This record gives sequence, C-alpha cells and structure tokens, in this order.
Amino acid sequence: MSELAAQVRGLSKRYPPREAGAPAQALFDSLDLDVAQGEFVAVEGRSGTGKSTLLHILGGLDRAFEGEVRVFGRALRSLADDELSALRHQQLGFVFQSFNLLPSLSALDNVLLPDAFGRGVPDASRRAQEALERVGLLGKAKARPAALSGGERQRVAIARALLVRPPLLLADEPTGNLDAATGVGVISLFRELHAGGMTLLIVTHEARVSHAASRVLVLREGKLTPGEEGT
Amino acid sequence: MNTARLWRLAKGNLQREVGALAVSAGGVALGIGCLVFFLALGAGLRRAVNEVFPVSTREVEVVVPQVALGGLFGDLKIDDALAARLAQIPGVEAAYPKMALRVPAVTRYNGLFFGHELHMGLEIIGTGLPPAVLAQDTKAPFADQGEDKPIPVVVNRRLLEIYNKVFAPQRGLPRLSENMLIGFQLPVEIGRSYVAGKTLEHSQETALVLAGFSDRAALAGISMPIDAVKRLNARFGADAQSYSSVLLRARSSEAVPAIADAAKRMGLEIDESERRSALQIGQAVELVTLALSLLAALITALAAVNTMQAFYASVRERRREIGILRAVGATRGDVAAVILLEAAATGLAGGVAGVVVARLAAAVLDWFAKNHLPDFPFKPQSFFHFTAAQLLLGLAVALLAALFGAFFPAQAAARMDPAQALGE
Repeated sequence: MSELAAQVRGLSKRYPPREAGAPAQALFDSLDLDVAQGEFVAVEGRSGTGKSTLLHILGGLDRAFEGEVRVFGRALRSLADDELSALRHQQLGFVFQSFNLLPSLSALDNVLLPDAFGRGVPDASRRAQEALERVGLLGKAKARPAALSGGERQRVAIARALLVRPPLLLADEPTGNLDAATGVGVISLFRELHAGGMTLLIVTHEARVSHAASRVLVLREGKLTPGEEGT
Repeated sequence: MNTARLWRLAKGNLQREVGALAVSAGGVALGIGCLVFFLALGAGLRRAVNEVFPVSTREVEVVVPQVALGGLFGDLKIDDALAARLAQIPGVEAAYPKMALRVPAVTRYNGLFFGHELHMGLEIIGTGLPPAVLAQDTKAPFADQGEDKPIPVVVNRRLLEIYNKVFAPQRGLPRLSENMLIGFQLPVEIGRSYVAGKTLEHSQETALVLAGFSDRAALAGISMPIDAVKRLNARFGADAQSYSSVLLRARSSEAVPAIADAAKRMGLEIDESERRSALQIGQAVELVTLALSLLAALITALAAVNTMQAFYASVRERRREIGILRAVGATRGDVAAVILLEAAATGLAGGVAGVVVARLAAAVLDWFAKNHLPDFPFKPQSFFHFTAAQLLLGLAVALLAALFGAFFPAQAAARMDPAQALGE
C-alpha cells in the first residue's frame, strides 16, 4: 500500500444547537478516510452533508473537530497555527467553487499570491507564467478577475493552487459555478494533474466530476461509503 | 515574513479602498497639520521673543540689593575691591562694572533732522560701560575723549526699532538705519533737568555722538564709556566710586549658577529683570503652544479612532479575502501585517499632507501679516519657524496614530476563523 496523503480516523464534528436545550447537531460521526498518494478521490453528497467542512478540516482551516486527521503523516491537531499555515503553503492547494480570487490583483498576481507568504516560492514568476500557460490563460495575465469569465477565473484559481506544486490538491465543487463546456475543460485539467502524479480530493455533487475520479465516496449521514467507481 | 511581497498585497487594497482610506488620511492630515503648524508657530514666536529679549546664557548682572540690609552687610557698595572679588569667583571669565550717570542731563534738538523739522527735548538716562563690552558693535571710537569733546554713546537696537515703527510714523519722521545714524551728534546739557529743582549749578553743554547700536547696550537710556560717566559724576560731586552693577561673563553657561550663588553669598543679588521678562514671555508662548499642540493631539486621536472604524469596516468586508490568504499559507501575523502596512501607508500619506498643509497655512498667514497687519515694533519676517525635528515628529505621530487605529482591526483579522471566513 502506498503512503497516505490523508488519513482520517474517528472524525466527529458537532455544531452548537440552534435552540437552547436542544442537542448538538452532529455533522460527522466517527468518520474514517484514507487517501493514498497519487489517488484521485471524489466525495459526493447532497448539500449540507458536510463536504466543504470535511475539506476545510483536511486543509487545516477548521480545527474544531474530534478524532485524528493526518496529512502526509502529520497530525493536524498537534500543529500550531503557524505550522498549519506552513503546511497549507507548501503541501496543499485549494480550489473553491466561487473561485476566491482577490479582485484588486491581476490574474498573474493572484497566481503569485502564495509567494507573499512563508519563505515565498522559488522562481515564483516563472512558475506563475507556466501555471497560467498550463491553464491556457497566459494571454490574460494582466486582466483583473472582473474582466474574466467564470471558467477563466476558475482556471486562474487552479493555476494559483499549482504555483507551489503541492502534492495534494483539495477542490470544493470546482465546477459548481461553471457551464457544462467550461466544466469539462476544468475536469480535463484535473485528469492531467492526476496523470502527472498529483493527489486530488474533490468534493462535488456532479456526476461528471466523479466519473473522472479513480475512487468515489459518498458522504451521507456523517459517514463515508463507497460510491460508483469513476474512470 | 517578506515585507516587500506583503506590501504588494497591501498596495492593491489601498488602491481599491482609496476613497474610504482618504477620509482616514484626511483626518490624520488635519491633526498633523495642526500639530506641525502650532509647533512651528510656537518656535517662531520664541525666536521673536529671543530677538526682543536676547538672553545670554553665559552672563549675569550683579547688583546691590534694593532692600536695605545695612545691619547685616554694612553700607554695601560695589567698589573696585568688590568688583575685583567678583572677578575672582571661579568660572568668571571677565567682570565688567557699570556705573549710572548720577547727574541729570537733557538734550534739546531744534532743527532739521534728516530733512524734517524736529523740536525735541529729552531727559537723558546714561549708563557707563567698559568699552570692551560693546567693542563688537561699535563702528566709531567708544572711549572718553575728555572735557569739551563729544561723548560717544551706544544705543540699544530695540530703541531704533521702536523709533522706526512707532515714533517716526507718528511724527512723520523718516525711518532710519543704523548706518545713517552713526556719527550723528545731539547737543546735551549735563547737570540740567526738566524736573524743577533738580538742575545743578554750572551745567555743562557738550554733545553726544552715536558710535553704534548694540543689543547689549542699556535698554533704558544710552550707554556711555564708563570713564566719561566717572568724570561727569565726579565733576558734579556725585558718587564716582561705586558701581551700579557688574556684568559677569562666565567661561561656560554651566558655571553660571555657581557664580550667581557666590555673588549672593557676598550680599549681592542677580538682576534678572530682563531675563525674567524673556522667561515669562517664553513660558507664556510655551504654554499656549502646549495647549494648541494638545488640541492637535486630540484631533489626531480622533483621526486614529476614525482610522480604527475604517479598518474595522474594511476587515468585515474582506472576511472572505482574509480566508483566502489563510488558505494559501498566510499566518495570522501575515494577515495583521498586511493591514498594518495599509495603515502605515495611510498614516504617512496623511502625515505628509498635514505637513504640506501646515506649511501652506503658515505661508498664507505670513503673507497676510506682511501685507495687512500694521508694521509694529519687532514684527518678525515670519511668525513660524519650521524645523526638521517638527516635520519628523509630525510624520512619526501620523504613523503611530494610524498604526494604533489599525492595531485592533488587524488583531481581529488575524484571529478570524479561516473556515468561517471562507464559508460566508
């Protein structure tokens, strides 16, 4: 068995009750997950089942959980805030449904955003140009997000996630705000990244994304269960 | 933390929020403008006071106490022996005895005065000084030439200023410069007084010749060579032995307090009338400057509060962006640093604008004073004195006010839960 990129054991997360005296709402109930390095895992689930929360926990953005979560062997609960920042900076890439680009920066500067933190990114300018070229947007490097289409913005967001060449890419509904044709292009890009050896964990409710994955899991009632296999 | 790269981020935010931050910077500019303006005004007024009341930090004037202390010190007088003792006080570089002209003297001028008819009579108050005291300022010989020779005199520059700004305009007389008056002679009658019963027998007619102008000459009256005063006092039977005061010049300003103490132990006291005037006016200027500077500080504090509100609003609006920064690897410190860099730029911009506004306001007021205020005595060329220290202080206070204002919003941004921020 290859080394695990992510390992989750007994993950539980509860939200405070909406009314005083009511029981806490459980989102996950002793959830387990293993993601091997080089895998392309899709997590399906209806809205509100906790897909985004699972991604935030794996990315060290949400620390309010019970259980054990390891990313590349490092237990997230034991890491200090700055160590989590360093982990996100060096080993994780995020892609969000709503792109999450900074409107005041150009496409190129958005891609270069991780270079502003930690020890920066070696050869960042060249890497940013390469990342934009890879997503087919080198010609729009100076454009602000407002001047880009939804698909172009998502490709800029993917280029940003690729700048540090992270071994694990976490994507939250990456095609959720895209039309069908544009979504296909993004999925194709994920396939390329997977073929290049990158580990991908994508949460989605779209079957076309799941079909591109090597393994599909379904998040239902706080548990992960195997779903219909992808490619 | 790479400040240059974080600055790139901050710059983008500044450009986007230039409107809101301009209001914050404007508040800082107002406060700093007032601060620098009032500090420069205070410094300018202090400079003007120093010109009117030049106070040497190395000199003290020793006099016999006005309150009688005969029982303790006998009939205390400053004679040559006591003057010599004063000169021996450790730290004294030189001692210059002064003697008042103790006989009445008047001048009557009837004739042309620089092209204008002038009829004037004045009671003369004369003080004798060693020529060395005024040597630097005299432009003609300042030594007693003997009987029947004109007596050289030196006049305080402030008297010329008062003549030019008050007396001349009122009487329709010409304004005069120092050079125009050097060598000018006034008839004088020694031993005569306009006060009934004070005129002495055998008064002597002679002349006064102006040898120069000096800030060190007696303010009340004219300064004469001390030998001339001794001669005139002796001629009319007045006291020509005791001095009215002794000017002690110290080797350094640090030695002055000890010299003053030594003089007091001899039963003498320090004449601080002019120094006290300068100090009192200086203190009044300091007090007003302090009050106005506190007002400026209050405005700057309000600007800091305004900056705080602006940055709190900005942080609330940028929650998602802050979440993005955390997602790509920003630490809490990075997030706070970006906001503080924005605040620093806002504060410095406000500080620079405030300094410029202060200088412009000062220039406008000086122009107004020059062109629309009457030409009163000692009217300065400028009421303001700007120094590099004031400008640097203004910029530093602007920077600190903005950083203080943004500190708590920056902390709030740094503590923000990234998952919640991204989820909104």
